[in-house]
Amino acid sequence: MTGSRLLGIILIIATVVLVVMGTIHPNQSGAMIADSRARLIGSASSPQDAVNNLMQQIGRRTWEAAYASLANKGEFTETEFVRDLNGNYGSLRSYANLDGFDSQPLRASGDEAQVRARMRWASVVGIFEDSRDLRVVRNGSQWEVAWPIVREAKVPPQVIPVNYLRWDVVYRGAEDDWGAQDVEAPHVRIIAMHPVDRGGGVVILGEVLNEDVVPAFVTVKASLLGSNGSTLATEDSFDKISHILLPKQVSPFRIDFRNVRLSQVDSVRIQPSANLVAASADPVIGIEGQKLTPLPDSSLTGSLVNQSGQVVNVAHVIGTFYDNKGQIVWVADQYPSRALLPQTPVPFTISLPADVSNKVGSYRVVASTYSSSRFQ
Amino acid sequence: MQRLGFMERGAPPIPLGLIFLGAFLIHAPLLLMKLPLKSYDTNFHIFFASHYSHHWFDPWNAKWYAGFSQTTYPPLPQQWVAIVSRLIGLDMAYMLVQFAAIVLLTLGVYRFSKLWVGARAAGYAALASILLGSEAFLVYSAGQLSTTFAAPLYLNSLPYLYEWMRWRNWRSLLKGSALAVAAAAAHHATLLFGSFLFAIPIVALAIIDVRESRLAHVGSFIIRTIFVTALVGTMIAVVLLPFWIALINYPVTQVPIPHPSRSNYILNPQWGVNFFLVPYGAMILALPFIFMRGSSSPRLRPLLLGFWVAFLLGLGGTTPVARMLLGRAFEVLTMERFAYWATLLALPFIGLLAEELIDRYKWRAVAGLTLAAGMTCAVAVSWASFRPADAEDFKVESVAGWLNRDGHDRYRYVTLGFGNKIARLAVLTNASSVDGEWNSGRMLPELTEHGAGALTSSKYFGKNGLDALSAILQHADRYGLKWVFMKDPYYEPLLVFSGWRKVDDLENRTITVWSKEAVPPATPIDSPQRPLAWEGVLWGILPIGSSILAMLLVLIPDRRWAGQTVVSDSDKAATMPSAGSESSPANDDLVLGRIS
Amino acid sequence: MRSWVTLLCALIVVVTVPGLAGHASAQASDLRFPQKVEAGTAFSVSTTGSGSATLYIIGPGDTIRRVVHLGESISFGPDDLHNAGHYVAFLVSGSSTQNAQFEVTASHQAATLSFLAKPSRLPVNLPNGVSGVAYVFDIFRNLILQPQQISFELSDSSGRAQIRSATSRDGVAWVKMNSAAKAGPAQFQAEVASVRNKRVIQQVPGDPCSIRMTAHGLGQKDKARVALETEPVRDCNGNPVPDGTIVTFTETYQGGQSMVDVPLKRGVAKTELPSHNGAVISVASGVVMGNEIRWSGGL
Repeated sequence: MTGSRLLGIILIIATVVLVVMGTIHPNQSGAMIADSRARLIGSASSPQDAVNNLMQQIGRRTWEAAYASLANKGEFTETEFVRDLNGNYGSLRSYANLDGFDSQPLRASGDEAQVRARMRWASVVGIFEDSRDLRVVRNGSQWEVAWPIVREAKVPPQVIPVNYLRWDVVYRGAEDDWGAQDVEAPHVRIIAMHPVDRGGGVVILGEVLNEDVVPAFVTVKASLLGSNGSTLATEDSFDKISHILLPKQVSPFRIDFRNVRLSQVDSVRIQPSANLVAASADPVIGIEGQKLTPLPDSSLTGSLVNQSGQVVNVAHVIGTFYDNKGQIVWVADQYPSRALLPQTPVPFTISLPADVSNKVGSYRVVASTYSSSRFQ
Repeated sequence: MQRLGFMERGAPPIPLGLIFLGAFLIHAPLLLMKLPLKSYDTNFHIFFASHYSHHWFDPWNAKWYAGFSQTTYPPLPQQWVAIVSRLIGLDMAYMLVQFAAIVLLTLGVYRFSKLWVGARAAGYAALASILLGSEAFLVYSAGQLSTTFAAPLYLNSLPYLYEWMRWRNWRSLLKGSALAVAAAAAHHATLLFGSFLFAIPIVALAIIDVRESRLAHVGSFIIRTIFVTALVGTMIAVVLLPFWIALINYPVTQVPIPHPSRSNYILNPQWGVNFFLVPYGAMILALPFIFMRGSSSPRLRPLLLGFWVAFLLGLGGTTPVARMLLGRAFEVLTMERFAYWATLLALPFIGLLAEELIDRYKWRAVAGLTLAAGMTCAVAVSWASFRPADAEDFKVESVAGWLNRDGHDRYRYVTLGFGNKIARLAVLTNASSVDGEWNSGRMLPELTEHGAGALTSSKYFGKNGLDALSAILQHADRYGLKWVFMKDPYYEPLLVFSGWRKVDDLENRTITVWSKEAVPPATPIDSPQRPLAWEGVLWGILPIGSSILAMLLVLIPDRRWAGQTVVSDSDKAATMPSAGSESSPANDDLVLGRIS
Repeated sequence: MRSWVTLLCALIVVVTVPGLAGHASAQASDLRFPQKVEAGTAFSVSTTGSGSATLYIIGPGDTIRRVVHLGESISFGPDDLHNAGHYVAFLVSGSSTQNAQFEVTASHQAATLSFLAKPSRLPVNLPNGVSGVAYVFDIFRNLILQPQQISFELSDSSGRAQIRSATSRDGVAWVKMNSAAKAGPAQFQAEVASVRNKRVIQQVPGDPCSIRMTAHGLGQKDKARVALETEPVRDCNGNPVPDGTIVTFTETYQGGQSMVDVPLKRGVAKTELPSHNGAVISVASGVVMGNEIRWSGGL
């Protein structure tokens, strides 16, 4: 009987071994994003282990465990810790998920070490990075992370008077006389356009001006035409433009074409389209302290200041970069991850390609905003 | 060692009619309540059926992915739903076809179990199949009509094929082959993967039985096995020819799409509950018995090994086995179906366990087993409420109405935050979408280049999902995509910053309609994947024809074998008829007309 | 389309009526219609012969069937034929069919005026910026093709008017006019024979002209910031530029830059920027530059 049951015992043991193997060294590449990062939280026997454990907990949003593992949890509450990572006021962070992270030891001593953690968060408008230099301290045989808390700014209770200005539109009715006028579409004009060959494709850079006295909802579409007049490709500016332009406002635009060489292109047809839309003149966003950072981290940094009383949940910063002759050499953008509270600076960083960085003589930055009524 | 047959024990096997009545009493009310409509995939199958009901011979469906071919998915259950829907509507037709699959499963489990265990234990196994957690999970929570339709057909086919292999019974060959082909026409994954898990133990059993029978000719057995494999393979190749053409010309090369069933269930306990505890239920308590009893009887060892492999595969990413055995297919298949097959393979053991417990503990065992099985079924049925497919139930009729009026359906649309309601919407509207739920059928590069599922659920696929959504929104002009219906405000910043404007709202402002200017009306995509006319004709005739043929063949009476005695598993080998007799044991339960 | 329908009806009548008429007993007669008839006028047509016959008249949007007595005149009232166009008449008596063709023209009396004015909004002082197109119709909505003298008048918000007249050709007359120097809603009117139609044209200020700003420190309130404010912004014709127009303030200093797009409110734009000693502050709106200030009061 013992012999006849041997197979069963072997299969049970094999099953347990396979489960243990699959759990200690999991390979969950086909699983959902959040699940595939799941690992056994081991003991933090080194500074990097401590950081990795913390990052996993953050990725899986097990806030309580993550907060409990910190060395300096007495300095802030769990709510503040969560808000630091998860944002507030419906900012990009509120909806972002940790897509990945790297940890890099910077220095270490017997009882203390410093590790740089780079977190990549996936938000609805793309990836944003959050880099923190973490102090890791020894506590007995374990290492613990001292979290460098960034507290969300708090706006003191106040009343901010705003002369609220907005445009509303009444369109022509269906039963109006056929000769009756409809409201005229806004007049917009392309004031600059420059095609460049880049990364195996063509990029059209330019600027568009609303020369009307009413707000315009603008989209710029471009077609690349070959030497025989045929259309090689058509794309539009998507989010590389500020779509709502108030009177006399200028927005840069960038249109990317993949898999087309500039040498194939005979001409470019730009089609700006503008629609009259209801819009608001607020909020006003100041873009302060703009500075170009040279290579190797070539970028344009600065801070956004919301000069109105309305919370901006998500802001979009688009930079136009010109050479010394005033020609556009690049257009790049960034979505700051934090909400813009009234009168509260929020930093931004627009990365620049290394080869473009050397050519930049001047630059211009515009900001567009999204405010959800749900968070007001 | 017990060596008594049921006649000697005195307890008669449960009549099949009673088992069918049990299936009716348990599942008919649940299906009449249309409970599966809350599941993940039910509306997907109804959507396919809806297309067949309108375009029987044209498998090109323009409503998803700007056009895709339904020959990428075996059509049998959906075609039956389409046929029955002419009488009772799509929803109830689905319920009726699903009920037929449940009843067929009880019969299939009974017949399959009888190959391994006695009639009484097989009866308990069939009874257990009514309350099987994995079946209830797939029917009411996952909505996998095709899987639950194909498995019973295979289970019913295998005893016939066993009879052919052992006794060269030509009637069994015809019946078994026809049922196997019909099963293949019902579900491709069951054909490509599940069939091996069921068939190989049966072949091994036949080998064991042939070797134990001194009069058997091993050579002729091998020839019969090769013959039936070739015959069934050829018939499947012909019946599903358009499917193979689509698969060979356009293999699934897209970036793999994540699925929680591939995760490690220990590291992700929420999925462990979903894909292990709920489908197995009280069967988990029987696992030691399955392993011990399965290994102690040589005849049961092939079944045990088949169960073990399916069990390991069903654990998804919890062990490295599924990834190693399935290779690339691991990232295409979902793993819950392996758990389902594992539980089906375990049912003969469960029947045996029930038989022994009842013999030993009488009514106490009956009560305990009923309670355990009932709780398993109850939890699995109610799981769709505990963990619903949609976070929020809402109606899509208003969206369909909006699309169908004022020429809005001249453009394509996409939904955000609609979950699996997109299939229901696709049934109701005339408009075409660039999204869909049948990932293997899609060909739009914006979708296949990113490892994400339906656009409506982009956020759950992280960067890949949002990249796919951005790519398709960026090429709105190309596809005539003018409308976005947004249920989940998560996506609002993307729409705002990428040039979409809110134009309307529906359902008490919980759904907003977004539009893009200057988008040209949608035009049909001239796709090379579109099946040729003759493929459409084959698709409309052969799969459904195979099932009708199988039904007709099964009605042919079996030859009775005078010396039939049904015994317990340990006696089975001894009491089986000798191969030399060349006559098979008649199975008095095989003919549907004589079941009760 | 209408002509095709007419032709088809005529063909049907020509093919079928003679056969039917075989049973009639009337004698054939001549059919003499006037070549042109003005819509809405009464007229009569004389016939010869004896017995009864059937008269069919087919025209654009009108078909008339009438049993007539040959030898008597056939009368048509003002409301019988009112759609302008080409008509065909058939008189069927016995086995013979007579036909005649005639034109119905629009009435001379203008009754309605359709007036298209473009654009509905344009900058001031734009030569030939406004176009008006008028279509003249009679009481039956027939386009009056005869030349009509149409008067166009564009009067700005101060009451000053430009008047032009144009003669319609084939029912249409058009003019181009200059927008006024003064911003505001302008009345654009077309008139013919006491029939008027009016449109409103928004004449809006042009690009800002000579934008001037001033800068001052915030003093004790916030020494680190400088307050900037434009003078009321006007276009080159002195019209105040509308509120909401974006004015861009840019402050350039050693190694950095700050800027803000501010909408005009109550005619002026004002904001605050960080104060940097030696910074150059400029102002612009669209492609129009304003003055520059070198700030020396900063930190």
